[in-house]
Amino acid sequence: MLGKAHIIAHDFVGDPLYKIRRLILRTEVAREAQPGQFVHVQVAKGMDPLLRRPISIADIQREAQEITLLYRIKGKGTEILSEAKVGEELSLMGPLGHGFTLPARGELILVAGGIGVFPLLPLAKAAQEKNLDVSLYWGGENKGFFTSSGLDLWQEARIPVFLSSMDGSIGEKGNVLDLLKKQVGSRLNHGEGATQAAQSEVLSVAVCGPQVMTQVVSDYFLQKGAAVEVSLEERMGCAVGACLGCVCTLKDKVSGRIYRGKVCKDGPVFKGEEVLWDYEG
Amino acid sequence: MKVNGKIEDNYENYTEKSKEDIDLTVELGPLTLRNPIITCSGTYGFGDEYAPYCPVEKLGGITLKGLTPEQRLGNPLPRLAETPAGMLNSVGLENPGLEDFLQSYLPKVRELPTTVIANISGFSLRDYEIMANAFQAGSGIDAIEVNISCPNVKHGGMHFGTHPDSAQEVIALVKAKTNLPVIAKLSPNVTDIVQMAKAVEQGGADIISMINTLLGMSIDIERRQPILANKVGGLSGPAIRPVAVRMVWQVAQAVNIPIIGMGGILTWQDAAEFMLAGARAVSIGTGNFVNPLAPLEVLEGIEEYCRRHGFAAVSDIVGLAH
Repeated sequence: MLGKAHIIAHDFVGDPLYKIRRLILRTEVAREAQPGQFVHVQVAKGMDPLLRRPISIADIQREAQEITLLYRIKGKGTEILSEAKVGEELSLMGPLGHGFTLPARGELILVAGGIGVFPLLPLAKAAQEKNLDVSLYWGGENKGFFTSSGLDLWQEARIPVFLSSMDGSIGEKGNVLDLLKKQVGSRLNHGEGATQAAQSEVLSVAVCGPQVMTQVVSDYFLQKGAAVEVSLEERMGCAVGACLGCVCTLKDKVSGRIYRGKVCKDGPVFKGEEVLWDYEG
Repeated sequence: MKVNGKIEDNYENYTEKSKEDIDLTVELGPLTLRNPIITCSGTYGFGDEYAPYCPVEKLGGITLKGLTPEQRLGNPLPRLAETPAGMLNSVGLENPGLEDFLQSYLPKVRELPTTVIANISGFSLRDYEIMANAFQAGSGIDAIEVNISCPNVKHGGMHFGTHPDSAQEVIALVKAKTNLPVIAKLSPNVTDIVQMAKAVEQGGADIISMINTLLGMSIDIERRQPILANKVGGLSGPAIRPVAVRMVWQVAQAVNIPIIGMGGILTWQDAAEFMLAGARAVSIGTGNFVNPLAPLEVLEGIEEYCRRHGFAAVSDIVGLAH
């Protein structure tokens, strides 16, 4: 879909210090959108910046024909977007990309680093509808960050949330991998080695966050035999797979072939086991 | 259909009516297009990526992503950097390679309901020869654009495009190996664009396309290093348009073969500038990223422009600014 979306709401989530904005749009995109997909938004009326901005879909209200976007004001593009007013229209392409797989059964662990939590809520809600056992492990800087990044949305949805903060002001002190090791590590240990196949049928993991965090969490759960999906982020040009600006490097598990995946079209969600994180060249 | 001086939204009605009025076809030497709007190589994938947003059958033609004999993974990331009214890219000719293209992509490309131009690149004359041999009349490809101007790979592409003798040689070789119309894509990163244009004409090029991206750089001042992993990249977008229009103007005066003009076209006014400067057709690249409907809007605007000024055919406006 390429068209206009009406701005229904646009405000700060919590403390403006954290610069997290909530943008609710009425758009046809709501009809088709799947967890993990994104939209490509035209932010500037002029030519600086020239390109659209890819923003993940943070909530889908199909009946109301609305989607919620959460984003952090970080640069020129998001700065301009933050000025858009309720009642105005934005040019939108979407829904775009290949989203998360909803597991058929078992447990789904969601792992987020910082604002990487945003695309995970639609997946959590879909899992809930399917009566899957779903929980979120979320790392961030401090208490203010969580309350300003939509923690209440998770609480309203009654999804179990486990937090880790760098300063210890909320949840466990430390990073999200430490939290995971402490909270779920012990019950996963029997999954190592021979029972990997069995484990991947019951435990699925979806990860989104900064690349280093995503990589270590993905590797951790892959070692435990879980089925891991990761959502990647890259600078995008076209967002439809035409310009090859946002590729990642993948390795086919079976053939061993190394190839490029388009984060915008083949992703942003990929199988953790197929991503070559440190490929140079 | 015109309502209160504005183009009505209903595109179907509009084109059906306007086709009676304005002759849209363009003759580019041996290559005939249904209308003068093409999409640029490297911005339109293999032709179906934008299909959900812009109907392929409305386009005069599309140019495929650049191909080389062997698969290329391209450059490391970041490959994109935004600049005012433009962007830098350093994709580095990532492509599946000739064999995989023929097997996995060509069957779909062949079905595209428009003129399809293959873009070929190489690192040696032998590479260009292999690529030219692969595309002949009846192969599903309608013309070959020879990329002698890629700024993003070492020791290839642009070398051929910045030395007149090399450019002439590579075009002559491709021309000898294929029976398809041959388009030479010129680099703006030269001292004398006219000299290059004359060289490819001498080499037997049927058509010139111009311009490729301008070599540029952007630096992250906080990290104190270039944004692009490749350090330099090709600048595209409206920022380069005046340079492109000037070069089309100069080349149009100096050669007898038709020109496809490109470089920063977003709107029909931009396209009109190129045509008035001497381009018989225009190509839209980075503009697709901003507005996937740009090719259609440009076409509608050019038609309306012709009607408003009393031209019966789009080709009537070519070179009128000279």
